[in-house]
Amino acid sequence: MLHLGVNDIRASYGALEVLRGISMSVKKGEISALVGPSGSGKSTVLRALVGLTPITGGNIEIAGQTIDYRSARSVRAARDTMAIVFQQYNLFQNMTVMGNVTFAPIKIKRRPVAEVEAQAKKLLDLVGLGDKHGAYPDQLSGGQQQRVAIARALALEPKILLLDEVTSALDPELVTEVLDTIRRLAGEGMTMILVSHEMAFVREVANQVVFMDRGEIIESGTPREIFDNPKTDRAQDFFSKILRH
Amino acid sequence: MNYTFQYGVVWKNLGELFDGAILTFQLGAVSFAGGALIGLFCAALIAYGPFILRLPVHVYVVAVTNTPALIQIYFLYYGLPEFGIRWSSEACLLIGLILNAGAYLTLIMRAGFLSVRRTELEAGQVLGLSIVQQVRYIVVPHIAKSIYPAMANFFIVILVMGTSIGSLIGVDELTGQAINLSSVNYRWLEYFTVVALMYVVLTFIASVGLALLGRWAFRVKARIF
Repeated sequence: MLHLGVNDIRASYGALEVLRGISMSVKKGEISALVGPSGSGKSTVLRALVGLTPITGGNIEIAGQTIDYRSARSVRAARDTMAIVFQQYNLFQNMTVMGNVTFAPIKIKRRPVAEVEAQAKKLLDLVGLGDKHGAYPDQLSGGQQQRVAIARALALEPKILLLDEVTSALDPELVTEVLDTIRRLAGEGMTMILVSHEMAFVREVANQVVFMDRGEIIESGTPREIFDNPKTDRAQDFFSKILRH
Repeated sequence: MNYTFQYGVVWKNLGELFDGAILTFQLGAVSFAGGALIGLFCAALIAYGPFILRLPVHVYVVAVTNTPALIQIYFLYYGLPEFGIRWSSEACLLIGLILNAGAYLTLIMRAGFLSVRRTELEAGQVLGLSIVQQVRYIVVPHIAKSIYPAMANFFIVILVMGTSIGSLIGVDELTGQAINLSSVNYRWLEYFTVVALMYVVLTFIASVGLALLGRWAFRVKARIF
């Protein structure tokens, strides 16, 4: 069953075209990884999916339904399906950990408070922060904050989780705890699209790897195909540089 | 120094000084509250408004912050009657202080508006918050917390320096009362040492109150001493 279809999307920041016709499909339960050099448009793909960056061409469909990004209702439906976790966590600084996780389900989705809090407790246990309910973001380490951000995204019960370089802002010793959390989600069959520079991790968890450069997909395939036998010079060059150290 | 301190006369009139202190506090609080409303409105205009509306706000802020508060209040008290507008001393002081505080608080609050992180708003957006909800749940709490110390300091400024201008146009606030009383028996030193102490107590109460409020409402780690 096709879960998400991205068809020839384009996007620009001013005169600069950052996505120049991106197409990919993501199946339920699969993990897709977007890799490539900085500025290649990986994050923009995720931002376009949730409607933070407007697309200027192509379309995105979920379970056969095309998302109309000009319609508030359609965008809301898309954001119900997909939740994004940012590189810089972007937690609400004025709310506790519990507040961050339960805010949207209670205030926006209007779900019962008791039910949401029970679910939030489970999610915080899942990300290993069961003892931090009352802490504020500025009292947590980067890795802890990022795990709260993941719990906050999961509280919306998304069908697809988008992870935008979630370990790039973290100290090396904190990367592991976040990757462990993602690994656990993968084990539970969560559909995910992740932008990452953690190649070893991508190789381990991803079903599909998409290599992008300058707003285009250069090649895509299984991790083995892309990492071990890249067909294009551009991909060979990139991986030979970053996999050698 | 050939001077004998005579505090007896001050103690006798302590009640009137207390009345002055209470009026000082009321004037300070009302001026600050009025100024905060003007400041919030003008700062929002500067942050989000179109150029046509930003321009008059800038003119207002520059005009007020670059002239002495005393001159502004003299203008209301001595100048406006020339145009047939007569307000009481209290009204002139209050309106002058509110306009003055409004300009300074616009500058303070503007800093708060500009320091809201775009990314936090984006997070709210993807969680499904409307623009109004983003302002209500993200922008306002952020502003309140980040500019609270500057706001609290400004309250002390207006409480002490702002209200005492009233004594020059016949408002019987704390300084005004002290001038009235001491001009009867020339015990200036006695009256003003006591008044100085009362100001200290007044600002101390205000500082502690503001610090506790900030800690309770906005998690501001304010130092009292």
